[in-house]
Amino acid sequence: MRIALLLSAGRHRVSGRPAPVPVELQALRLAADLAQTHGGQSGGTVTGLHAGPEIGPLTDALGHGLGHLVHLRMPAEADPAPALTAALEAGGYDLILAGRSGQGGEDTGLLPYTLARALGRPILADAAALAPGAEAGTLSVEQALGRGARRRLVVRLPALVTVHPAAPAPLPFAFAGLRRGQVEMREAAPSAPAPHEVEERPYRPRPKLIAKAAAGASAAERLKAATVAASGGGKLLVDPAPEEAAREILAHLRALGLIAPR
Amino acid sequence: MTDLALLLSLIVLAMLVIAGALAARRARAWRIGRAARVDWAAGLMALPKRYLVDVHHVVGRDPYAARMHALAAGGLLAGSSLALIGLIPALGDARLFWWLTALAFAAAFAGGAMVGRRRYPTKPARLSGGRFQILPFLLAAYSGGGFLVALDASLGGALRPLGLLGLAFAAIGGIGLALQIDRGPMRHAFAGAAHLVAHPRPGRFMDERATALAPLDLDAPRLGVAMPEDFAVNRLIGFDACIQCGRCEIACPAFAAGQPLNPKRLIQDLAASLQPGGTNAAYAGSPYPNARPVAGVGGPGLPIVGEAAMIHPDTLWSCTTCRACVEECPMMIEHVDAILDLRRFQTLELGALPAKAAAPLMELRYADEPGGRPLTGRTDFAAGLTLPLMAQKGEAEILLWLGEGAYDLRYGRTLRALVTLLQKAGVDFAVLGAEERDCGDLARRLGDEAGFQRLARANIETLARYRFARILTADPHALHALRNEYSAFGGTYEVVHHTAFLDELAATGRLTLGALEAARVTYHDPCYLGRYNGEVDAPRRLLDRLGIARLEMERSGKRSMCCGGGGGAPVSDIEGERRIPDIRMGQAAATGAGIVAVACPQCSAMLEGVTGERPAVHDIAELVLMAVEKAGTAPARSAQVPA
Ligand code: SF4
Ligand code: SF4
Repeated sequence: MRIALLLSAGRHRVSGRPAPVPVELQALRLAADLAQTHGGQSGGTVTGLHAGPEIGPLTDALGHGLGHLVHLRMPAEADPAPALTAALEAGGYDLILAGRSGQGGEDTGLLPYTLARALGRPILADAAALAPGAEAGTLSVEQALGRGARRRLVVRLPALVTVHPAAPAPLPFAFAGLRRGQVEMREAAPSAPAPHEVEERPYRPRPKLIAKAAAGASAAERLKAATVAASGGGKLLVDPAPEEAAREILAHLRALGLIAPR
Repeated sequence: MTDLALLLSLIVLAMLVIAGALAARRARAWRIGRAARVDWAAGLMALPKRYLVDVHHVVGRDPYAARMHALAAGGLLAGSSLALIGLIPALGDARLFWWLTALAFAAAFAGGAMVGRRRYPTKPARLSGGRFQILPFLLAAYSGGGFLVALDASLGGALRPLGLLGLAFAAIGGIGLALQIDRGPMRHAFAGAAHLVAHPRPGRFMDERATALAPLDLDAPRLGVAMPEDFAVNRLIGFDACIQCGRCEIACPAFAAGQPLNPKRLIQDLAASLQPGGTNAAYAGSPYPNARPVAGVGGPGLPIVGEAAMIHPDTLWSCTTCRACVEECPMMIEHVDAILDLRRFQTLELGALPAKAAAPLMELRYADEPGGRPLTGRTDFAAGLTLPLMAQKGEAEILLWLGEGAYDLRYGRTLRALVTLLQKAGVDFAVLGAEERDCGDLARRLGDEAGFQRLARANIETLARYRFARILTADPHALHALRNEYSAFGGTYEVVHHTAFLDELAATGRLTLGALEAARVTYHDPCYLGRYNGEVDAPRRLLDRLGIARLEMERSGKRSMCCGGGGGAPVSDIEGERRIPDIRMGQAAATGAGIVAVACPQCSAMLEGVTGERPAVHDIAELVLMAVEKAGTAPARSAQVPA
């Protein structure tokens, strides 16, 4: 099985220094495990791909179990999608893995979808575990849903899968792996600058909305109100008509006070 | 010379030939090891002193064992040598000569009897059984037999029947002993001597600290030790020197806590892996507690660590690097170096370290701080105090190294006390603030030498920008790294621990101490201060200035017991039956003290983590501050050095 792993230029969440994106290293672990245990007789290969001006500490992925890293060099403002699409197409990968979101600029969670569309491949989000499907040429994906729920899906390869932080921790870093690993630098064909300007600012966790209990309610009632709100509640609509779905969403937002009442 | 005496001499000669052949065979096995830089000539010259002074200093802690060994080894060597040179006619014909020989054998017999009394009727758990249990009989047979033959010869053959009996015994015992030389108990004799000559840390015999880990060449083809041949040749010799006395075993905190580590067994496993097709099946000492199953096979070219090899990884990661085993080992074996060499391979080559230990190393790589916390947050503990920054001052007499403890809420109180004391004493000091990175101790003990070297170089570069006379720190791990381990990377500093520094301030009258009446205090020595740096007196001197009753624990000073916090053990978190800090706190409580004085952020955290009724934990700095505050209210007691 040939697996490609998309690596984006991340930053450490506290120090702000260039660093690999943790969820992408988790994706690497899924890829490495899959290649090792289920690679078939030919064995699996995992190739890392990064498009950008600098490879920087992404080479550390070689220490986390990656065998081969390809750096598609391009100016910082260039759109990485065309170069990545071309490289992915040429590589003939069965599976393309990415993190569910990057950490800045155009490395948002949108890129995998752009690539999937350009490649004409199915995309499945938020994998927490991967295994070969029962049928040859398929992949069984455990998808992470809210609140620890999991859903098993089977996708026909080739496909693109994004990985969720609920996946197992990255393989520990081995310095010798970094020393042994190969980085292949390719100049990417010039492409138009990325279409959108994105405003960047530090992440700040927002206060959570806590449902209010009636004034004068007992502590138990307040606790219940708080936890019920935290555990979602709401309504489950299965295959609703678009109109109905939109109505429900609007009603919900209105109830939360996020849009003005009619 | 009687014919029996002649035969005795020939038996000794035969023993010598057998032992020589077996020893040579074993020595050939050592040659698979990596070449080591050894000054053989100097080592050989120093051998008598190393043996008679340094080894006996350790052996002598157990007076029974020391007497036993002096008699058995001294008598055996003297008796055998005399019997051998009895082949020289002029000597062999002198009756007095044989009388002397008989005396030597009698001494050996007494030593052999002591060996027997120690092992029978019940063998202490720390001693190995198996081949070791027949040792007293072989000793008794050989020395007793030799005695009878020599006695007979000294009387000119008057006791011939007894002499004959003696000869038979001497032959059986003597050949039996010689056959033990390559794998049995007698191996320690020749391997031990070779180990003393080629010791990897000759500084230990020259009153140097010699506790710094050797830097690893990160360009070496293989990083760390995977197979026996990756060990340096003098390390391999060291493993063979082990006499299985079990002193390391009873000193080991991980062993006491029921974690799967027994330093004695570890050394035996390493020695066994030297043999092609080696197994540890013949080992007859205490096992690894709660041993994880391993294949138990090894040999040159085979991995040492792994479930399919000799040693389970959990064994490796249980070690707190406290060096208690090294301190206790009469054969001067360097267990911690071996464990670190093995860890380095696991971490650097395989990335096979405990899952929970991987995360802090990753944070260190990108944030220079194992908790991934902001470097600017290191000074948060001092909110409300003025903390001069090096970046602003440029120079200061004292550079205060805060260390990892600064992030810990509990230890922050200690650092606040220290900073307050410095201010009261008018010390010109400054901190690096956000420029201080982790010292790299954790990375290094977890085998991440690459991470350590990067941090060491970065810190050295930062320190080079400022002028200061000394570095002061409350963290013995940082102290050890800065004082002993950075020098290999070009950073040489005078580093002082806060206990020594406060003691200095009190001695010179810059701090006026009141008396903490009626407080009963016991002091827990941090391994990295006491054993690694030999500083056991200053903290005690300082405590004695506080007007308290100081009590000593069952294990203290350089023979103190670890709190369980070193070597990355808290993050590796290998399961055992008990927690090491609970054991240590039990020892503290047994003294009847109401306060355990600590001098290290790790010890503080580990001991504060003990639940239930127990003595309070205070860093010495906190106690000193209390005393200083007392002095402000009560009539001041002039600082004086206790006699
Ligand atoms: S390693 Fe040293 S202390 Fe431990 S059993 Fe062997 S000789 Fe004794
Ligand atoms: S250093 Fe300490 S924990 Fe490690 S083996 Fe030696 S005594 Fe045990």
